[in-house]
Amino acid sequence: MRRLFKRRPGKIPGFPLTMGITVTYLGLIVLIPLAGLVLKTANLSWSQFWATITDDRVTASLRLSIGASLAAATINLFFGFMAAWVLVRYPFPGRKIVDALVDLPFAMPTAVSGIALTALYARNGWLGGPLSHVGIDGAFSRFGIVIALTFIGLPFVVRTLQPALSDLDAEIEEAAASLGAGRLQTVGRVVVPAVLPALLAGFAMAFARAVGEYGSVVFISGNMPMKTEITPLLIVTKLEQYDVAGATSIALTLLGFSFTMLLVVNGIQVWNTARTRA
Amino acid sequence: MANAVTSSLSLPARAGAPATRDTALTRWLLTGVALTFLGVFLILPLVVVFAEALREGFGVYLKIFQDPDALAAIRLTLIAAGVSVPLNVVFGLCAAWAITKFKFRGRSLLVTLIDLPIAVSPVVAGLIYVLVFGRQGWLGPWLAEHDIKIIFAVPGIVLATVFITFPYVARELIPLMEEQGVEEEQAAMTLGARGWTMFRRVTLPNIRWALLYGVILCNARAMGEFGAVSVVSGHIRGQTNTLPLHVEILYNEYSFVAAFATASLLAILAIITLVLKSAVEYRVRRQMELSARMGDES
Amino acid sequence: MSIKVRNVSKSFGSFKALDDVSFDIPTGEMVALLGPSGSGKTTLLRLIAGLEDLDPGAGSIRYYEEDIAGQPVRKRRVGFVFQHYALFRHMSVFENIAFGLRVLPRAERPCRRRIRNRVHELLGLVQLEGMAGRYPSQLSGGQRQRVALARALAVQPRVLLLDEPFGALDAKVRAELRHWIRKLHDELHITSVFVTHDQEEALEVADRVVVMNQGRIEQIGPPGEVYHAPQTEFVMNFLGQVNTFRGHAVGREVQFADIALAASDGVERHGDVRVFVRPHELDVLPQKNGKPGFPATILRVNAAGAVARLDLQLPDGALITAELPQDRYARLSTEAGARVFVTPRRVHVF
Repeated sequence: MRRLFKRRPGKIPGFPLTMGITVTYLGLIVLIPLAGLVLKTANLSWSQFWATITDDRVTASLRLSIGASLAAATINLFFGFMAAWVLVRYPFPGRKIVDALVDLPFAMPTAVSGIALTALYARNGWLGGPLSHVGIDGAFSRFGIVIALTFIGLPFVVRTLQPALSDLDAEIEEAAASLGAGRLQTVGRVVVPAVLPALLAGFAMAFARAVGEYGSVVFISGNMPMKTEITPLLIVTKLEQYDVAGATSIALTLLGFSFTMLLVVNGIQVWNTARTRA
Repeated sequence: MANAVTSSLSLPARAGAPATRDTALTRWLLTGVALTFLGVFLILPLVVVFAEALREGFGVYLKIFQDPDALAAIRLTLIAAGVSVPLNVVFGLCAAWAITKFKFRGRSLLVTLIDLPIAVSPVVAGLIYVLVFGRQGWLGPWLAEHDIKIIFAVPGIVLATVFITFPYVARELIPLMEEQGVEEEQAAMTLGARGWTMFRRVTLPNIRWALLYGVILCNARAMGEFGAVSVVSGHIRGQTNTLPLHVEILYNEYSFVAAFATASLLAILAIITLVLKSAVEYRVRRQMELSARMGDES
Repeated sequence: MSIKVRNVSKSFGSFKALDDVSFDIPTGEMVALLGPSGSGKTTLLRLIAGLEDLDPGAGSIRYYEEDIAGQPVRKRRVGFVFQHYALFRHMSVFENIAFGLRVLPRAERPCRRRIRNRVHELLGLVQLEGMAGRYPSQLSGGQRQRVALARALAVQPRVLLLDEPFGALDAKVRAELRHWIRKLHDELHITSVFVTHDQEEALEVADRVVVMNQGRIEQIGPPGEVYHAPQTEFVMNFLGQVNTFRGHAVGREVQFADIALAASDGVERHGDVRVFVRPHELDVLPQKNGKPGFPATILRVNAAGAVARLDLQLPDGALITAELPQDRYARLSTEAGARVFVTPRRVHVF
């Protein structure tokens, strides 16, 4: 570190101090504990690890978590695009308030969202009642899990799309129109491909966040093993049963997934800068 | 015509150009669908919290906050936020300074690592501290020997909160300071300013809104964290319960009104966060645009 | 395809961008809309394209004889080349050029092979063979400009509209592209309109120049005419450098700087006037030769370039500029500080 600093003598001060604090703090709070998780799993034999994560209950939870998260992220892809489009393009009364509310799932504690959604979608709730008439269990079902995960992922898609849409050069839409494209053709062939990186990044972030989500889901899911038990809940359950090895194995799987998604999002950003650098 | 209306709403000027304008029917339809979606997913959950909390009237609602357990939970939540926000402000400033004012190898890796806690499941975040400080963890035996309790105690809750809120200040500062570059600091140095003075007089005024924005987000996250804190808390009433955990306990005991009343407190916090966020966001964006424009000119 | 613009006005809020503009663009001509920024030239071009709406009741635009008011841009079959090209960044050069053909209604859409042939034909026309697979970010400014042009030409437009087509290029590429575009127009003969703020560009490329100022047309005519016979003071000033004097008119004659000369337009005037003389319309002589003229002192000489430029000071302190061909400057054999005698060959009076 000292050598690094010496290469730029007499410039802006504070590199050793700030870099030192940054690395130390990052190490103590994030990296060492995370490494602990990896090391703890390393104590297990490969067969133990494999047996844990291929256990029926675990695979069922992984399938549910990933499946419901994909469903929720897909819902957000469509409605999030629409919401971002409306917020960026159309003036309507209360636009600023609605725009501010988009961050609610982020600002609201997940436990509060969880019980609120449960109350809303339970059989006696405002939305659960009508839904039960058409034969859908709002709460305590996979439907409920998707609802909660959609709520959680919403800001990610809208907030990554909004700047992309408003930065979009009006001229490319005019160019498409002058070449004879209709409005739908323009949106489908020009606008969507142009904001595709943002769309994908938002989707990936919403998806990643949903897979790890706990607070807003546990209330509405019903938590029935094999049916409505999400993976993060299973980790908590294992831990409460003092099955630390089991909890750790599943956590490592989830962590691996988080890393992968982080790489995917970074990859999308790199691809996008490479593609559009002019 | 329409132009005058749209400009006051700070919509892009293109809204008026015919080739990029959607038909009224499309506009109405899309706005309708989008607002219904946002209404169902954002507004209804918010409304239901207050509706349930006030179900038995305002008197009952207020009485909930005389419960000593609730007061203890409020106190613990304030402690957790009170420790983690300042810590992460110091960290965020240091990290942003090191990353944006200097070029070094591994810079982008560092940025990615700082974002890590956002990607990690809160439950996993709690678990890693159990693995380090828990009875069977690395430091477990040593801690037991010295009679220090971290897991199932206040320090564990604070640690988990710090982890979860770790990136928020740094994330807001890095893009802005990146845009601002080092020219002003270098100018200040040629005028004789030294480290701390330069930071206080030159850097800080340039980033104050982004810093405040980061603090707002960090605080909201700190007060509301549930999953990570839940794993390390042990759920001891009056001792290791934060507000969100208290909500869970009340809810699981079927004290719905009390649960929603407590939740409404957190919902109000969320609303305040949103209001402050919108107010500050505008200034952050303007500062960002200003720096970007100055960068273009040079 | 001729275009008729009649009594067109356009306002944005309280700003009047165009004020009662009328002119014709004859079939197959290349017309330049020339003016400073804010003169309304781009708005006029966008109105012709259909990228802006005409204010209700404020004039009409006809293609040939068809009134195209209310016809959306995508139905007008115009080729529009944007100032910053507006290429689709996520599409290759090939896809960009093919776009207009791909979005045709199914019944009119050419088959895959015909599209490919057409695109390659256009790539040949704009001299970008072999670039089909590149992306816009991999091209130079001049190449992007030509892709934008090929894309606009793909749909066989009735008119070609270009917004500051050379504005974003550096000087050398700009000059090359200018010649090339003029040559292309001579081959294709598509009715074309381009917007520019650069008088040299307009005079060199266009068949006809429309000089605009503050939302109005100042003068329309072939390049030689607007340059040599400007009808207004604005045109005089905008098209090239000019020396200005205060003078007094009596009949067809004007008196200024102690001399009397006939005005170039032969119009009778009386009273105070402003007199304009272009730098190359001034003769500089070592001494008085009998023609009406006035003495001056040379302040500075810039002999680099096709002509020698002389900065001169008159006895009353006023500064003027004269341009002499290099051989005449050599014969003058003088330098800064010398006293000379200046005679105008031609004066414009407004």
